[in-house]
Amino acid sequence: METATSDEQMVERALSGEPEAFGEIVRRWERRIFALSFGMLGREEDARDATQETFLAAFRNLRGFRGDAKVSSWLHRIAVNQCITRQRRARVRSETALEDEAEKNAAVFAMPMDGSPARTVEKLERSVAVRRAVSALPADLRQVVVMKEFEELTFQEISEALELPLSTVKSRLYTALRQLQMRLKKFGE
Amino acid sequence: MKEINERPVCHRAEDLVTYLYDEANEAEARDFANHAEACDACRAELAVFKQVHESISLWRNEALGAAFNTAVLPAPAVAGPISIQTVRPERRLSALGALRKFFSVSPLWLRAATAFAALMFCVLAVLAISRSWNKPPLASNQPKNNAYSQEQFDTAVANEVKRLMDERKSKNSSASSGPTAATDKPNDKNRPPHLAMNRTQPKVHPRGLSRQERVQLAADLRLIPRDEDELPFVFSEEPNQ
Repeated sequence: METATSDEQMVERALSGEPEAFGEIVRRWERRIFALSFGMLGREEDARDATQETFLAAFRNLRGFRGDAKVSSWLHRIAVNQCITRQRRARVRSETALEDEAEKNAAVFAMPMDGSPARTVEKLERSVAVRRAVSALPADLRQVVVMKEFEELTFQEISEALELPLSTVKSRLYTALRQLQMRLKKFGE
Repeated sequence: MKEINERPVCHRAEDLVTYLYDEANEAEARDFANHAEACDACRAELAVFKQVHESISLWRNEALGAAFNTAVLPAPAVAGPISIQTVRPERRLSALGALRKFFSVSPLWLRAATAFAALMFCVLAVLAISRSWNKPPLASNQPKNNAYSQEQFDTAVANEVKRLMDERKSKNSSASSGPTAATDKPNDKNRPPHLAMNRTQPKVHPRGLSRQERVQLAADLRLIPRDEDELPFVFSEEPNQ
């Protein structure tokens, strides 16, 4: 990362008793972690909570940070685990109720009324379908799609963050795109 | 979207996604483009995957707003890791903006606690202000505390008159009292009207002098002020006779 002070240096400073240094890491990465969480969870509120939990977990485990990995990769790993944990908990509670609510919230959150009612409805349906299709992906495929599409990470960065071979990342994305295509056929033509 | 699942998966699937997301270098990109011209499966998948990618980008942009409106795909020339600085917004938040942002990612309990604290602060401020308004000003009390009340004044006059009457009585018992009463009468007409109120005071001791005489005596002894400026009296002084 091409910044004046690298993330790794900021972690070192945080470990040496400068809490503001960790605040700077949060400032640098919160938007991306939020985007990742939103893509994984599909709900703004859940994404915010997951983002907060990610940084809290990172701060608590700051001493466990291995210097051989990038801070960004480390944060992404924590965020993905947080999202997966939240989804497991949500399934245990009440999946259908959460899904319905998430769909409703996501639609309201997403849709600006910038066109004709028919066009707006079409966009709304499309957004709901995409969100539903991404949410229906298995977690290992979904996290790759979200990291690529929402965070625009490179394959190499995703590979480092998930500690997976580069070829595995690419094949997972390919499989995910095929599954998404099947679910989004309605809006293709 | 076209149905592609029935198509055989080309062995260059990984190259396809690399090309799709513009992460292939120039040579790799040219090589795959040549391949796609000859491979129906790759060409069809490339077209369909672009549609999927656009749909996801649309959803992402609508959901996350303009802040995340970066390029739909990375620039073709870019190879290697994306510079985070090109994606991360660099604007500095104002204090108000930072506060708003802090609350936007804060849990509900923190927002409620902050609102409660703000409410309590306002209530305490209002109470403090109302108390300071209700408290009487100290400066205005000073002159009143130093001045004599009408009752104190009347009592003091009565006591002094009584003392003088006693003295006079003791003198009169040894000398005749006729000339004194006669010489006092003409002066009575010149008395200011406000002194009449004090004429009732000597009733405490009806013996000896008449009421008018007692009042006249008190006036002569300067025990009754002619003007407000003469206050306060010094009652302990001996009267001039």
